[in-house]
Amino acid sequence: MKSIKVIMLIVFVILIAPERAAASGPFGPPQPIVKGVGGVHTGIGYWFHEDTYKNGTEQVTRRNQAYSELGYGSLNGWEITARVGMSDLKLINAFDSSNASTTTSKTDFEENGKFFGTVGAKGFYPFNNTFGIGAFIQGSYYFSDFADTVSGTRNGTPFSVELRIRNLWDVNFGMGFQATVPYDIKMYIGPYVYYTELKGSPSADVAGVAFASVETTMKNKIGFGGFTGIEVPLAKGFRLNLEGQYSEKLSVGAAVIYVY
Amino acid sequence: MKAFSFPVLLLVFFASGCAHGPDPAVSLAPPISPPRVRQVLVVSDPVQIPPTPPEMPVKSETGKVDDYGDIEVLEKVSEEAKVEIADPLEPFNRAMYHFNDKLYFWVLKPVAQGYRKVVPETARVGVSNFFANLAFPIRFVNCLLQANFEGAAAELGRFTVNTLWGIGGFLDPASSKDISLSKQDEDFGQTLGAYGIGQGFYINWPIFGPSSPRDTVGLLGDTLLRPYTYLSPWYAGAGVWTYDKVNDTSLNIGDYESLKEAAIDPYVAIRDAYVQYRLKKVNRKGGNISKEDAGSPEKK
Repeated sequence: MKSIKVIMLIVFVILIAPERAAASGPFGPPQPIVKGVGGVHTGIGYWFHEDTYKNGTEQVTRRNQAYSELGYGSLNGWEITARVGMSDLKLINAFDSSNASTTTSKTDFEENGKFFGTVGAKGFYPFNNTFGIGAFIQGSYYFSDFADTVSGTRNGTPFSVELRIRNLWDVNFGMGFQATVPYDIKMYIGPYVYYTELKGSPSADVAGVAFASVETTMKNKIGFGGFTGIEVPLAKGFRLNLEGQYSEKLSVGAAVIYVY
Repeated sequence: MKAFSFPVLLLVFFASGCAHGPDPAVSLAPPISPPRVRQVLVVSDPVQIPPTPPEMPVKSETGKVDDYGDIEVLEKVSEEAKVEIADPLEPFNRAMYHFNDKLYFWVLKPVAQGYRKVVPETARVGVSNFFANLAFPIRFVNCLLQANFEGAAAELGRFTVNTLWGIGGFLDPASSKDISLSKQDEDFGQTLGAYGIGQGFYINWPIFGPSSPRDTVGLLGDTLLRPYTYLSPWYAGAGVWTYDKVNDTSLNIGDYESLKEAAIDPYVAIRDAYVQYRLKKVNRKGGNISKEDAGSPEKK
C-alpha cells in the first residue's frame, strides 16, 4: 500500500514537472535487482548519451560514459544505487562561427575523462508473478569542469579562447512497467521526465562564436522521454541489462550486473 | 634527512609482515597473527590430533589392525614432525623473535586494536580483499612459473571479476558459490621450492619474521610484483604496506597470543610451524621437494 502511494506521488510529480529534460545513464528494470533488504549488486556499464540543450541557440551534446555501480537493498523493497564513472563531452559545432569575419581552428568542443557520480532509488509493486509497476528517481553530477580551447582570427587579429563547461547535472523521474517472461528475463518500458543544465564560461568574448561570446546557462530542450530495456540472466549470477532512452535524441547503453 | 627518516622508520616499525609474500598466513612472526597458524600446529602437535573414529580399523606399528585408533595418525604426525630446518643463527633469531614479539605487543597490537574500534569489520574485510586483489600479479606470475596454468587462469578470472564487479577488489564475488574461483596462494618462495631449491636454514628477520634464504629471495621477487612498491616517494609505498599489515592484524588479534600460550617454547613452535607450513604449500602443487625440505635431520 505504501509502495502504491509512493508510485502515485511520483506519477503526480511526472505530470506536473516542467517540460525540460535530459537523462544520464540507464534506469534499469523497475524491479530492484538486489535480493531483499541488505542485498547488494554491483555492475559495470557503458552509456552513450545524446541530447539537445538550448538557451537562445540550440546545442547538441554527446557523452560516452563508463561506470561502475553499487546497489543496496533498502527498506520496503526500495533499492538505492550509486554509480561513479568517467565520461567525455562533445558539444557539436560549439565553436562554429556565424560571422564571416571570424574564423576558428575547429568547430566542436571536446574533452575526455571527467569523473561523474549518479545516485538513484527505485521501488516496485508487483501485480502478479509476471507484471508489475515501479518508479524511480535518479540524478547525476559531474565533479569537475570540461575545458577546451579554440583559436582563430577575428578581423585578421588572432585570438585564443578557453571554454569551460561547469556544473553539468541532471535529475530524472520516471515509472516503468515490467513483464517477467520465462528464463527470468525482464522486459520494461515507461515514460520519464528530466531536467538538466550546464554552464558555459568562455575566457574571453568572441563575437560570432555562439558559445564563446558570453557566459551561458543552457537547459534541456524538451523535458520528457521514453525508455525501454531488457534484463537477461547470464551464467554464474551475472545479468545483462540493455536499455534505450529517447527524448530529443536517442541514448543507449549496456551493463553487466552481478547480484550478491 | 634525519628528520624525515624517523617518521618513516616509525611507520615501518608499526608494520609487520612475512618474509615471503602476500599471504599473511605464512607469517608466524609475532608482528602478524596468522589465522592458520593453529591449524599448522595441530600437525606438529600429536596431542591435538583428533582421534580416529573407533569404528575405523587402524593398523599398529607392525601393520596389524588394532584397537588404538590414534596410532596411524600419530605415525603420520611424527613423520611430519620430523620436518625440521637448520638453525645456525639461533642466537640472532631468538633475539629477533623477542624484538618482533615486543613490536607486536607494544606497537602493532595497540594500533590494530585502536583501528579495530573505529573501523567496522565489514570495512576491514573489504580493505583486506582490496590488498589481496592488488597482489594478483604475484600469484598469477608464480602460477605461470610453476606451470600451473589452471591456477593462473583462475587468478586472472578472479582479478577481472573482483576488480570490475567487486568495486575495485573491495568485494570478493569471485569466491562466491556461483563463480567459485579460489585464490591461489603462490609466491616466489614456493616457486623456488617447486624448482627443487631447499629452504636452507632458518632466519628470523626483524619486522618481516620467519624466513629462510630461499624465501628471502622469494620475498624480493614478490616485492617487485607488488604494485604499491612503485609508489613515489618510497615512503608512500611503505605507508601503504604498513596500513595493509595493521588492517590484517586487526582481523587476527588473538591468534598469535593463543599460539604463544600453547607453546612451551614459542620460538621453536613458530620455527617448526613455519617450516612445515611452507613445505606443505610447496608440496601442494606437486613441486619437487628437496631432501632438505623433505625433512632430513640436519638441525644445527
